[in-house]
Amino acid sequence: MKQVNLFGSEFQDKSEKKYTAKIESPTYEPKNKQPHTLELYAKEKTRRLFAEIDRSNVSDEEKLFLRHAAARHIVFDYEKIADYYAHANTEMQSLMERSALVIIDFEKAIENGYVRLCDEIRTQYLEEYGNTE
Amino acid sequence: MAILNDFAVFILTHGRPDNVKTMKLIKARGYTGRVVFVIDNEDKTIDQYVKNFGKENIEIFDKKWYADRVDEGNNFDNRKVIIHARNACFDIAEKLGIKYFVQFDDDYYSLGYRYVEGEKKINNLDKVFEIMLKFYKSVNIKSIAFSQGGDHIGGFSGIKLKRKCMNSFLCSTDRRFKFIGSINEDVNTYTTLGSRGEVFFTFTNINLSQGDTQSSKGGMSDQYALSGTYVKSFHSVMMQPSSVKIAMMNAKHVRLHHQIKWKNTTPMILDPKYRKKK
Repeated sequence: MKQVNLFGSEFQDKSEKKYTAKIESPTYEPKNKQPHTLELYAKEKTRRLFAEIDRSNVSDEEKLFLRHAAARHIVFDYEKIADYYAHANTEMQSLMERSALVIIDFEKAIENGYVRLCDEIRTQYLEEYGNTE
Repeated sequence: MAILNDFAVFILTHGRPDNVKTMKLIKARGYTGRVVFVIDNEDKTIDQYVKNFGKENIEIFDKKWYADRVDEGNNFDNRKVIIHARNACFDIAEKLGIKYFVQFDDDYYSLGYRYVEGEKKINNLDKVFEIMLKFYKSVNIKSIAFSQGGDHIGGFSGIKLKRKCMNSFLCSTDRRFKFIGSINEDVNTYTTLGSRGEVFFTFTNINLSQGDTQSSKGGMSDQYALSGTYVKSFHSVMMQPSSVKIAMMNAKHVRLHHQIKWKNTTPMILDPKYRKKK
């Protein structure tokens, strides 16, 4: 329960505050600026591997396989990818969704469900332990 | 409790018929529903499990059959690992007509609410499962787990949904997935599937504790003692080399552990307002 003290500012009942922790949203808030596509991934290790593969004497078929495998070392920055998505056109957004580069929380099912989950667990906790110090 | 009609706790256990701490714990925490003991056919103590818990509560799976159908990530030919039981659970649940189940290890000693002031034991686990199931059913995720001590190093982490999922997996036969890599199978699975857009969560408001990885006999302990945690962690590096590395972890015992760079592992979850109308 929130109360007002003599100086007019609000403070929380101590026993309630004890069981109230900041609930962190599972959704990401994209930034206002769209990053360049080159910022979305880092290919240093993959490039080094490509160079080694190209210098090697293995067969072309083996080279092709190794180049595909080297792609496993590409580092994707999913925060920047989400920033990019928020400013992309509909066609690009659709392709990014198809590739699961972002996860759209349709009808805010995760966010709202999560709030309910926290509320219900807290209610159950208080039912078992009450507001006692 | 009606919502728990098609739900069961699966305890994945091996060679510890007289020391299944999890069973005692969940009963003490007020769980009244069905429990299924998941045991492999290579366990020499099956008879004792039957004696202790009743034939009707035990499901035995063919470990070699599952081992032959998964990428173990190594050629050790060592089946003293939990991954096969984890994968078998989906088939067992389907066979028993159980749609929702939680996979528990056999060595848990506490299960509680986690807040800033510490952990307080759950007294009505039925209700907690009911709440968790309600959330699970309402969202399109593969699995959700309870947090563990490591999630709160340095104090309470706050209430959050982490993108990891370890140890206690709430699953559905409708949302099958396959664990990969014979050791560190949980990390291997949530990083590789997570990077492809499958969603896994850990809910930090509920916490469970179990015996130290390298301190109790039986189960997976022998496997870890054999190779330390380097080989264990390296399985996840092999599976997800772009965002998982090995680092030192300062827990109770200093040891090597996997380290995940999350912003390079799982795609972000976005509010639908950022999706432009077509």
